Amino acid sequence: KSFASKERRLSIRKNIKRQMGLQDTSKDLVGNMEVDAFRRLFPLPFFERHLLESIRPDARPLGTARDTTVALGVVASADGSALAKVGYTTMLAAIKMEVMTPSLGSPDEGGIAVDFHMPPVCSPLIKPGRPAEAAAVLCKQLTDVIISSGMVNLKELSLIPGKAAWMAYLDVYCLDADGALFDAALLSAVSAFSHLHIPAVSVNDDGRVVAVSGELVEDNLVKVTLNKSKRKLTLSCIPFSLTCLLYKKYILADPTAEEESIMETSVTVVLDLSGRLVSFYKPGGPVLAHTSALQDCVALTRQRVKELQNILNEAIADMDLD
Amino acid sequence: MAGKSSSVAPTTYSPSPTLKKQQRNNQQQPIFKDVDWVRPDGRAFQHCRPAFLRTGAVNSASGSAYAEFGNTKVIVSVFGPRESKKAMMFSDIGRLNCNVSYTTFASSIRGQGSEHKEFSSMLHKALEGAVMLESFPKTTVDVFALVLESGGSDLPVVISCASLALADAGIMMFDLVTSVSVSCLGTNLVIDPITEEESYQDGSIMITSMPSRNEVTQLTLSGDWSTPKIHEAMQLCLDACLKLGEIMRSCLREATSAPHE
Repeated sequence: KSFASKERRLSIRKNIKRQMGLQDTSKDLVGNMEVDAFRRLFPLPFFERHLLESIRPDARPLGTARDTTVALGVVASADGSALAKVGYTTMLAAIKMEVMTPSLGSPDEGGIAVDFHMPPVCSPLIKPGRPAEAAAVLCKQLTDVIISSGMVNLKELSLIPGKAAWMAYLDVYCLDADGALFDAALLSAVSAFSHLHIPAVSVNDDGRVVAVSGELVEDNLVKVTLNKSKRKLTLSCIPFSLTCLLYKKYILADPTAEEESIMETSVTVVLDLSGRLVSFYKPGGPVLAHTSALQDCVALTRQRVKELQNILNEAIADMDLD
Repeated sequence: MAGKSSSVAPTTYSPSPTLKKQQRNNQQQPIFKDVDWVRPDGRAFQHCRPAFLRTGAVNSASGSAYAEFGNTKVIVSVFGPRESKKAMMFSDIGRLNCNVSYTTFASSIRGQGSEHKEFSSMLHKALEGAVMLESFPKTTVDVFALVLESGGSDLPVVISCASLALADAGIMMFDLVTSVSVSCLGTNLVIDPITEEESYQDGSIMITSMPSRNEVTQLTLSGDWSTPKIHEAMQLCLDACLKLGEIMRSCLREATSAPHE
């Protein structure tokens, strides 16, 4: 957060206090509580005051996303895993590989099964036993983007054409829901794939695929070693996304949950590393967007893709160093 | 999903052998009966795994904690006190609602977490003795735990982490609640077992206690035990609970003394 933007945020709060008649600066604690009450009671005017100065309550400029971090290999029991944090929004993605019989139509291809979960841990609005509506929508969005981006070449997931192939079960769990869930979920999924190590396996006499462990078991059962050591996938056209809120003439990049609850119109743009459009999602909303607004969203996403690419590459480099 | 023909998910299997198969194949069951058997992670029999505890892991919750004991990773959120469900009867003391769930990738075989449905009610029983329910009448405090990775001794870690999260949320309690389990492997007693040790165990005991008050809120005993072994195991657990309680307290102290944003 830059010094200048924090100053502006504090001056906006002072202005609100002055207008509410709280002149006495010695009662600063009470004054702050009154501003927080104003924020709860009249959220839209509170945000509009900030938007007029091209800033948001957390001192971010309108087009800036929150601090993002990615950590790879956080779950040892999974074949690939990643934890992505965008501001407070936290997503944990992990991939487990299992063996399946490939379908008749594509005997030399494996499969990817994507599932998105919002456990009650992540938000006060979710009760156990009843899956959130948002979870189903996000699951479909995530599946569509990952499959259609062509990031993973399904032929690399094949083991024995026609007989056995890998099924990659990707599970994304939301650990803290603070807005822009899709962006963090996609980032964690993509990071998990870049961390994925395919286990070394061989085939038994009875056609069953087994893992190659340190101590070799019965030699007479091992027929063919399919891959000697763990290998990684080659990923192409990695997709990254940015969600923006549209409100009057403003475009807010990477909204928090509070912002999303007040200004409902959102646009999610997914681009790959070469700048091609993978997905564009504007699910209704009270604000109708002009082409210029949509182009601005795409431009913001282009910038964001570069940032995310750097963050992911740094995380991979850190992993390799270990 | 790939595969145009199937709308039903294809059946898949995991290539790694299950632990029971490993036992049969390797016939290594008697190894721990060996006098100089060393634990797989090199610990002494009386040593617990190093604990990493952090509060404030989830911003959306009133209180939360993250605990990492070796490969067992748990995150707990506490919401409340908040309005009880409309269908609930009036109650002049508060209610505690607990839920423990596993991620699909928590155990080595995918989807094995649904075998632990009883953990939610066991967590409730462990905590209800320690929480001052009279301090939040008519309302409910929700405690939700998610096991991210299961490396053995899951329920004790969940209970300790939940008590830390309750403290972070400011829910009034008589004392912090800590929990440790001990496994009996032949003639050896090992504390804080990992998944592999739990699979070979002859018996197990788990104690949840309030260390400063020297009171036990929950004791679970299962398997083959002789009376002197039970006494020895109980003493081991209670000592470990005391030490764990101090670690949790220092974690809370650090969290409050850290500069506030």
